[in-house]
Amino acid sequence: MIGDRPLALVLVEMILLVLVGPLVTGTIQKMKARLQCRRGAAVLQPYRDLAKLFRKGTVQADTTSGFFWSIPILVLAATVAAGALVPVIRAGPPAFPLGDAVMLLGLLALARFLTAVGALDAGGAFGGMGASREMTIAPLVEPVLMMVVFSTAVAAGTTELGALAAHRGTSWFLAWRAADFLGFAAMLVLLPAETGRIPVDNPDTHLELTMLHEGMLLEHSGPGLGCMALASHTRQIVTLSLVSALFFPIGPAGGASGLVLGAGAFAVKILVLATFLALVESSYAKLRLFRVPQYLGVGFVCALTALALRIL
Amino acid sequence: MAACYGAGALLSLLLARWSGRLALGLSHLAAAAGAAAGLALSLGLLLGEPGRTLIQPLPNIFPFAKLSLSIDGLSAYFLLVVSVVAVAAAIYGPAYLRAHSPDAGSPRQAAQGFALNVFLGCMAFLCCAGDALTFLFCWEGMTLASYVLVVSDDRDGENARAGLLYMVMAHGGTALLLVAFLALTERAGAFDFAALRAAATGLNGPTRTALFFLALGGFATKAGVVPLHVWLPRAHPAAPSHVSALMSGVMLKVAIYGLLRFTFDLLAPVAGPLPFSWGWTVLFVGTTSAVLGVLYALQQHDLKRLLAFHSVENIGIILIGVGLAMILWRQSTGGALATVALTAALLHTVNHAAFKGLLFLGAGSVLSRTHLRNIEELGGLARRMPWTAGLFLLGAIAISALPPLNGFVSEWLTFQALLGGATRFHGPAGLVIVFSAAMLALTGGLAAACFAKAFGVTFLGRPRTSQAEHATEAPPSMIAGMLWLGALCVALGVAPGYAMRLLDAPTAALLHGPGASAVVTARGPLVLSTALTPSGANGTAISMTMVAALLIALSAMALVLRRGVRRAPPRVAPTWTCGMTPTARFDYTATAFAKPLRLVFAALYHPRREVTRETAGTPYVVRRIHYAGEIVDLAETHIYHRVEREISALSQLIRARSTGRIYGYIGFVLAALFVALLLLGVAY
Repeated sequence: MIGDRPLALVLVEMILLVLVGPLVTGTIQKMKARLQCRRGAAVLQPYRDLAKLFRKGTVQADTTSGFFWSIPILVLAATVAAGALVPVIRAGPPAFPLGDAVMLLGLLALARFLTAVGALDAGGAFGGMGASREMTIAPLVEPVLMMVVFSTAVAAGTTELGALAAHRGTSWFLAWRAADFLGFAAMLVLLPAETGRIPVDNPDTHLELTMLHEGMLLEHSGPGLGCMALASHTRQIVTLSLVSALFFPIGPAGGASGLVLGAGAFAVKILVLATFLALVESSYAKLRLFRVPQYLGVGFVCALTALALRIL
Repeated sequence: MAACYGAGALLSLLLARWSGRLALGLSHLAAAAGAAAGLALSLGLLLGEPGRTLIQPLPNIFPFAKLSLSIDGLSAYFLLVVSVVAVAAAIYGPAYLRAHSPDAGSPRQAAQGFALNVFLGCMAFLCCAGDALTFLFCWEGMTLASYVLVVSDDRDGENARAGLLYMVMAHGGTALLLVAFLALTERAGAFDFAALRAAATGLNGPTRTALFFLALGGFATKAGVVPLHVWLPRAHPAAPSHVSALMSGVMLKVAIYGLLRFTFDLLAPVAGPLPFSWGWTVLFVGTTSAVLGVLYALQQHDLKRLLAFHSVENIGIILIGVGLAMILWRQSTGGALATVALTAALLHTVNHAAFKGLLFLGAGSVLSRTHLRNIEELGGLARRMPWTAGLFLLGAIAISALPPLNGFVSEWLTFQALLGGATRFHGPAGLVIVFSAAMLALTGGLAAACFAKAFGVTFLGRPRTSQAEHATEAPPSMIAGMLWLGALCVALGVAPGYAMRLLDAPTAALLHGPGASAVVTARGPLVLSTALTPSGANGTAISMTMVAALLIALSAMALVLRRGVRRAPPRVAPTWTCGMTPTARFDYTATAFAKPLRLVFAALYHPRREVTRETAGTPYVVRRIHYAGEIVDLAETHIYHRVEREISALSQLIRARSTGRIYGYIGFVLAALFVALLLLGVAY
């Protein structure tokens, strides 16, 4: 199916995602602070942190191999490439084939795999702990995520995200069926796991009892850490865009007004999802690691029911 | 090709007395030549005019049967798979065997060279067999030669036990195959496949299905499908590493070839879809194998055993594709989807051969340099063996089905076929297919976890033993063997569209429909596309080449970011271990890495854990802690041990009747004969 999103638009959308990524993190942090009756840092703080990291020098562990230096590069590249696969301001398949939802999940998994490998490289206990936990949660999240994608893909007959979004059309809010509600519920359960937030992971601490993702970054420093941080901001916004592409896309609309409308709608959607994440983070405690599979089980049941409703 | 393998085998026999080293070198050279000939032959046939079949009669050895070779698209494709890995193994082999067991006498080296050539020759001829007799002879030759190779490296008797289990299981499977083939040949009155095909048209439904399940049992034993896999994780690691690569990468695929040939070509009804039970059984068995294979692999700490369990997983993934093709073939609503499913299975066949071969050769390099297989005792090898580590990482990414390498391509095609199947079958059948897709996703995730562990604990961190600390890089010929397979992984991942041309002949020959490239690369070789709905209106298209290019461009940009503003070389400091002096004991071990998943899937593992403390009089001063952990293989404890108990009980029962008098035994034999004749008389 040949679409009408030109290469330039796809690249612009990808760059937009990378640029806006830290802002979403900043907004969530700000909202969390306000919910906890603190003033909190400015929403632009993640940009300042990144700028600081890129100006710093690097300290590298003496046991690391040659792979360690290139891990942040590959992780960032894989995550940003995943950003090119998700429609942002305009639905519809790209004018040339690039990748679909399976590829997107594959690229995110590649980034995660490389992060875990990098964590084991320095040979500290924290890196291994983070990598082990992350690689425990990830295989449990992936099938559920895949089932959510399939529950919409079965109706549309494609796993291409742009085409999926276009299939829903502009009147998605009238056409939602029970399967969509359940699929969306499953997605909301998965969202904190995929973005590394409470109740699955805690992005704010470096305590060894709580950390998953942060534990893996412990030995990275300077620009390398900057790349890893930028990658996790991008990963977060890509996941949020995936949710909006699957469940409430803006249909194809031509012209400049369509693009402006799409950009505005995108901002609103991401803001709503970010608010959800901030609310969840502020109102729940982190789960014990071995309770997480049960938590993800809720998502699994929702996704399976959604699929059953769609197919039966 | 035959000449090369034969010459290799003979040469190694002749030179056995004289010089083992020379025998080893020459026999591997002959094997490489044979593999190259096989490569040329199969490529010529696959890229030549479509639908061509090469028939070559063989000299008549038996008065009652005409032997022949017949190479069609399917045969040529599997010959290609055999030859691709055989080239790497032949390049890799001599240096490995010399480094691994330098004290081996020349008879043993010659025996290894001989068995390798026989093994390769049998596999190649098996794929090209044009009659049942050649097929079964090669099958047996393949089993015996690989048995010799499994026990050739015996140090502690464990290999002999592994070899014995392998022989028992393999011959159980062969017995089933023998019955299935002989039932057909008896009907046909001849052994060649054309006669069998004609004979199979007259079968009634239940007989056809019974024959299918016999053959499935036989082939599944060889392919190592759960629960018939118990021999595989013991026998594969026992063989020399390049032979493990061949056994895992190729020998299991030969069983897949047999299954495809027997089901789609020989046994399939003339018209209409295959019986309902066939495809669903294969799909179920494949899904189970995929999930259980990777789950057991995750808890292995023996590098080669871990890889062997991953073969169980990947055979499962291949069988998912095969099962789906069986379900969808000739369905009125199936469209070209059966072709997509079969393409996925066949592509995964060559992909698995490439990356599993690469990983086994990498494990072999580690083994030959450190003489250790337990990954807990390794560590830090990436600094000492950078080429091996890099290539192993490449294989790890490929086997974890991560883009942009080849494992992802075939799993993507499998996903697409499963999704298409789910849109075709409404109701429970669709749900089963989708569930199998979810299990495939679980498998991919667990494989990534397993290889993060395997690669990380083996190659990264600090060395845990002095052998690991003093390891050096493998010799160039071993690296060359790995590079060939690594290049294949990249090429099949980045430009899979070109490989689709090779798949045209086998898919068209089996399914009598459009070829793979007409279905999957309808929009040029750089784009993979599938049409999921029967009308073909919607569909999915991806371009591995574009994604790879995007990844490279983004990596270049990230490289600029990574170098930062200061561009100073990094300062080197010890790893942060909360202020203590870092030692190798701070590294996460493989047991610790896999522990969370061991607890999550405790229901499948039944983990056992034993901790004993040695204290110095008071419980507060601990001198030493012993930890022993173990997991069980469910199939082993629940099926095999039970069978073993039953058999022992039965033999006890029989022993009570054995009086030691010869008349009693003769009486038994006569009674058995009488009962058999009676049964036959009733049957006819």
